[in-house]
Amino acid sequence: MSRFPDPIRAGLARGWRVLGGAHAPLPERLECDVVVVGSGAGGGITAELLVQAGLDVVIVEEGPLKSSSDFHQLESEAYPQLYQESAARKTADKAITILQGRCVGGSTTVNWTSSFRTPDETLAWWQQHYGLRELTPQAMQPWFEQVERRLKIGPWEAPPNENNEVLRRGGERLGIPVAAIPRNVHGCWNLGACGMGCPTNAKQSMLVTTLPAVLDGGARLLVETRALRFEHARGRIEALWCQPVRANGDPAPGALTRIVARHYVVAAGAINSPALLLRSELPDPHGRLGVRTCLHPVVISAATFGHEVAGWQGAPQTLYSDHFLDTQPVDGPMGYKLEVPPLHPVIFASTLAGYGRDQARLLAGFPRTHAMLALLRDGFHPESPGGQVRLRRDGSPELDYPLSPYVMDGARRALLSMAELQFAAGARTVVPVHEQARPYASWREAREAIAALPMEPLHLRVVSAHVMGGCGMAGDERLGVVRPDGRHWQVGNLSVHDGSIFPTSIGANPQLSIYGLANRLATRLAKDLAGRDVVLGGASS
Amino acid sequence: MQRRTLLRLGIGSAVLLALAGGGAQLLRPGLQQGRLGAPAREVLHAVARAVLDGSLPEDAAMREAALQAQVDRVEALIMGLPAATQRELSQLLGLLGTAAGRMALAGLTAPWTQASVAQLQQALEALRQSKLSLRRQAYHGLRDLTNAAFYAVPGHWALMGYPGPTEL
Repeated sequence: MSRFPDPIRAGLARGWRVLGGAHAPLPERLECDVVVVGSGAGGGITAELLVQAGLDVVIVEEGPLKSSSDFHQLESEAYPQLYQESAARKTADKAITILQGRCVGGSTTVNWTSSFRTPDETLAWWQQHYGLRELTPQAMQPWFEQVERRLKIGPWEAPPNENNEVLRRGGERLGIPVAAIPRNVHGCWNLGACGMGCPTNAKQSMLVTTLPAVLDGGARLLVETRALRFEHARGRIEALWCQPVRANGDPAPGALTRIVARHYVVAAGAINSPALLLRSELPDPHGRLGVRTCLHPVVISAATFGHEVAGWQGAPQTLYSDHFLDTQPVDGPMGYKLEVPPLHPVIFASTLAGYGRDQARLLAGFPRTHAMLALLRDGFHPESPGGQVRLRRDGSPELDYPLSPYVMDGARRALLSMAELQFAAGARTVVPVHEQARPYASWREAREAIAALPMEPLHLRVVSAHVMGGCGMAGDERLGVVRPDGRHWQVGNLSVHDGSIFPTSIGANPQLSIYGLANRLATRLAKDLAGRDVVLGGASS
Repeated sequence: MQRRTLLRLGIGSAVLLALAGGGAQLLRPGLQQGRLGAPAREVLHAVARAVLDGSLPEDAAMREAALQAQVDRVEALIMGLPAATQRELSQLLGLLGTAAGRMALAGLTAPWTQASVAQLQQALEALRQSKLSLRRQAYHGLRDLTNAAFYAVPGHWALMGYPGPTEL
């Protein structure tokens, strides 16, 4: 039995209205004011504001309701329970592995807590190219400030773990600025288990912040339930059809549920949000639905040191460098953000390249291994249009994301930058995560080898934890799926409030961008639907 | 699997094309009623021998028990994946489980159960470094599943010097 109070189990004992899975059978019909599809960053913030405005809200979540008592810092439990497709979701050609949450709280339950505001240059790009004139840094500031207070986002005061320290040390030697990452934690135990669900409830995810408030406010939560499709006519949604699903996402036995509401908010995350709209055959006169899906494609460089690094221990991603984003124009050669992930056996052994005795040797050095990530900023350059979400025959979504030569050029430069930083920090060997790479013993050797590596899909290992776009927001209906207020351009009573509305990638970990934008959109939606002014984390007036 | 990709395999792999394209319905899928068929188990057993070489027990009986447990774990992992992914893996394992598929796709002459670790690793390396995306996909799928299943086991963490979760 955990020594930590579990706010979810306590809420269930108080009588929260949670249906689906083992909680309570799904009814065949439901009525409410607003349905929110998805309980992650966008859905959590939206639901809190709508409930605060006095609206009757139903949240539909595909994943299960798990909480701190269930989080045992075990990858074998976390990946199948808390992630889309057991943390092995892939792009159509299998060249990119995508980490996305699929549980109550969505990706906020399993993310690594990095909390950046949307960079000014990204907002400027949206103003200039997507007609989002209202989205200035000044206009967004109060929305971010409210979220930062609500989710206790602030600087991380504890010293970085050695895994992160490598980035700082290398940066210092090479004159590359490295700074601290603000985190949404309160009383963090510095365990490093964020990706498996926070066992101490220190992470201020939707699971322990907005969702308890929403459920205490009387909202209903449907879990292990997929939003299948909208029923619509004459430019209005008339109902949402939902289906019980098994742990692996396959349909479970049981009748469909038809939910009728005044308004519908989709916040199922990029890939799944556009997929719901595609399955529903909603109007898309300008061919914008599902396109421009960005990933921040990530390439990895691992380094072995002469001392212990213990990359599993301590808060992940506490330092970053934007040097390679700031030193070139946003639409120039692809820029990248450098960060340091947590390392655990399954994700490490399945992401690194190789097999047999070479692999056994590499894995035996795990305690002395550091890994660095480069997140490539996609969606700005004409040769980086992102990918396209489409439906398989069974209605499940698939993302086709071509790794173009432009992206691969960025990837090669990123591998070079990381290897140089790692050697500068004292690495004995560096191995770029690529099927034809091997451990290199000096920067000179690594530089020559990386320059010659074939940058091809499925040779270079690429991952992503940031899916963005697919229901892009724009001030012109020819350029996007939703309007600047989050409402669908062609369907009156439908809004999208999640990372799928970003017209490009963010160029930073996106959770705070989703929170901030959802806060802005949902505050206005609450006013429209309930006629009341609400403030996130504040009393209504 | 995409027909376009298969077509690029060329004349030399006509047998594979026949199996995976037009003849797909004749092929026994690797997964049947949520379980791995015997040929699919043989494929995964052999892949584990190659990928986990150096990490398995030396003693023959213990190694065999470890390999059987490993195949069971991979089966459980596959069952946690969505239907669409299961279908693809089932196709791949079904194909590799036939002599023609094994030779055409993996370039392995000896049956999975009889191939030496060196022969299996050669076949894996050929898949891994292939010019054909489909063969590289097969390598990634087989290798990553094998590692994910193996290193999820607390008893195997010592091989990586990982102490396990922090006691709370």
